Amino acid sequence: MIELVQLVKKFGTLTAVAGIDLAVPRGEFFAVLGPNAAGKTTTIKMMAGLIKPTSGVARIAGFDVQTQPLEARRRLAYVPDFPFLYDKLTPWEFLRFTGQLFQMSEERIRRGADELIPRFNLEPYISKPIEGLSHGTRQRVAIVSALLHDPEVFILDEPMVGLDPHHARVLKDILKERSIAGMTIFVSTHQLSVAEEMADRIGIIHNGKLIAVGTRDELRRQSGSDGALEQTFLALTAQEANLAEENR
Amino acid sequence: MSATPGHLRLLISVNLRQAWRRLQTAGEQNRLLTGVIFLFIAGYFMLAFWLFYRGMRFIETFPGLGGLLVERLFYLLFASLFLLLLFSNIVIAYSNLFRNRETQFLVSLPIPTETIFQWKFLESSLLASWAFVFLIAPLLAAYGLTHHQPWHFYAITSALVLLFVVLPSVGGAWVAVNVARYMERKSFQVTLVLVAIVTVALATIWFRPEPITDEMLETRVLAVLDRMLMKTRFTMFPLLPSYWLSTGVLNWAERAFTGTLFFTLVLLSNALFFGFLAFTRMGEPFYAASSAVHSRGALFGHWDWFHRWQSGRSQKALKIGPLEKILRTVLPRLSSEYLALLVKDIRVFWRDTTQWGQTLMLFGLLGVYIINLRHFSQQLTNPFWVNLVSFLNLGACSLNLATLTTRFVYPQFSLEGKRVWIVGMAPLGLMRVVKTKFALTTISSLALTLGLIWLSCRMLKLPNDRTLYFVFGVVVMTFTLNGLATGLGVLYPNFREENPSKIVSGFGGTFCLVLSFLYIVGAVVLLAVGSPWAKRGAQPIEILVTCWLGFATLSMVIGWIPLKLALRKAAQFEY
Repeated sequence: MIELVQLVKKFGTLTAVAGIDLAVPRGEFFAVLGPNAAGKTTTIKMMAGLIKPTSGVARIAGFDVQTQPLEARRRLAYVPDFPFLYDKLTPWEFLRFTGQLFQMSEERIRRGADELIPRFNLEPYISKPIEGLSHGTRQRVAIVSALLHDPEVFILDEPMVGLDPHHARVLKDILKERSIAGMTIFVSTHQLSVAEEMADRIGIIHNGKLIAVGTRDELRRQSGSDGALEQTFLALTAQEANLAEENR
Repeated sequence: MSATPGHLRLLISVNLRQAWRRLQTAGEQNRLLTGVIFLFIAGYFMLAFWLFYRGMRFIETFPGLGGLLVERLFYLLFASLFLLLLFSNIVIAYSNLFRNRETQFLVSLPIPTETIFQWKFLESSLLASWAFVFLIAPLLAAYGLTHHQPWHFYAITSALVLLFVVLPSVGGAWVAVNVARYMERKSFQVTLVLVAIVTVALATIWFRPEPITDEMLETRVLAVLDRMLMKTRFTMFPLLPSYWLSTGVLNWAERAFTGTLFFTLVLLSNALFFGFLAFTRMGEPFYAASSAVHSRGALFGHWDWFHRWQSGRSQKALKIGPLEKILRTVLPRLSSEYLALLVKDIRVFWRDTTQWGQTLMLFGLLGVYIINLRHFSQQLTNPFWVNLVSFLNLGACSLNLATLTTRFVYPQFSLEGKRVWIVGMAPLGLMRVVKTKFALTTISSLALTLGLIWLSCRMLKLPNDRTLYFVFGVVVMTFTLNGLATGLGVLYPNFREENPSKIVSGFGGTFCLVLSFLYIVGAVVLLAVGSPWAKRGAQPIEILVTCWLGFATLSMVIGWIPLKLALRKAAQFEY
């Protein structure tokens, strides 16, 4: 469902993403971890079509994001860490707007909204201007608008930022349900607990490379540590750093 | 990628709804201030119309030459406005296409990039062109009335103007896309400085008047006029869009309808052709440019010398920069927190090319005009004209300053944005932060305004006492305008918006501009009437004192009170 083939992104002399190969099948919950400036957001931006890869291919539901962008984006939803919303609209108007952009029928928009709005407790805010909403509520509006068209692939960059524990739980539950129903979910996060609890597989990006991919147990074995994901993560990134130092 | 009309319609409707709600909110927030703004707009139209009307009537009184001069003024005005429109479109299209969160949001949705470009192109064109229409409407109305034109003159003129604005919009968007694609900030800054220097130098050389003797003025007026008109002949170059517009308007006024029809068709075909290109062929280049901008890579990134230069810079990154060294030398007793704030504000200003680019343009053009005054000083022997020109220069200089203070000083506090606590929580406190910003902007503005006013007085060969009078006037006005912009900026902050031009276009920014302009009109009138050199005979002392007191009171009310209120607000600011 998500396919990255030798994906490279260079910013001038800096190689932010250095040839990532990855396949995430339908219905998988994939979490990507990595230190700051590891290349996670750049990878996501290439998957969402925000920036062009220097080389390589990113495919969403079998469509190349660069050569078949509309087909790919129709099947995709992307929520960045600080999503854009039209401040002067109400959440309901914004939901209708995004639904219409995805060429959904009025009935489908309403059906989707009827399901998602109560689950994210957005009823009290649905007709208030977005500009007056808190960061967490805005985040919930962005997530609902992204889920509205029932995407085949859902990419989230730090989705839990700003969400209170209750709504973080709601989001996790929905993501799990959708994933079981066949939605492919790709989450970039610094919260290891999210990856540990939710992900079918975890990938670790470091210095632009995908240094490890697998289930928690596979990663544990690969790292040689048998503790929590935190220790696995630290061990794997330290190994990679040492390797890079030796090569230098 | 084929464009879907539904998407464009949706984007337009959602943004129109946003704009309408913004207007409603502004109206509901403060009806009095909204009323003041509407009154100002109406006042501007009436004043501008009256000035244009009187000016045209005056020029028309020159026997045999009036029509010719008005005609040439039309060509000159539209050619200059074409250039300004182009520049304005470049700056606005760049910000709107590449530094705009809505664009990024839309790129991730299943909307063809062509449609995103189309929407942003329409939005940028509107933002860049409304001031042009605002500016020329009273002129065209005045022309129509002085020439007793029927209603259809205004209709055809409006249509021609609408077709005309398409061309700089397309040109500006095209330049913006290519600048974004091939230049990163540094190379763009260098190019902009070079272009500005070359333009100012060329304009200075080209418009330098030739010496005209009194004998020539008395006996060979036509020859002199001919030479003068030669200088502006480039505005009649038939391939200039401003030529098509001017000729179309003038032909219609002279009932040469076939001529107007021809130039309307020329404008229409060009607008359709370039508009079609923009609507159908710019999606892909826009997407490539957007990717390049957000990848921080650029054409220079492929060149070795650029890499070497950048690696040299990164080695120096931990050393104290030249700006800080200069400030430490110039202001050795300044404590580190003030120094840090000054360095930060200057760096932020310098790194935002659009900010100082516009400053350079505004004051550069005014500088060229004032420098060229020396060539006219021979002819400006009548004390009335010398006096009038000196006060008009003061007005022009202050209006330029008001544009700058509203555009750059007003949003300073808002631009601290969500980071306001960083400076606010620092030991120097938010109140001193505001004071430092006020001091920095006032001193920087004084360098410009004092320089220009001194130059103006020198060019007009004014004696020292009169020069001192203008210097005093412009110093007070600079303090006042900066105080007003800093004060209103703190009183009406907008921490949500990161784009300074959008902060300014809000309620507080508009109010700041209106008050600044009203203040300038009042201050210049008071200084002119209160000038001891205003009339040949001595002015009664009561009039002089009344005017000076009026000027001082006006400056205190407009500049000092908002600043004082702002400082009080900053002292009790809640984060």
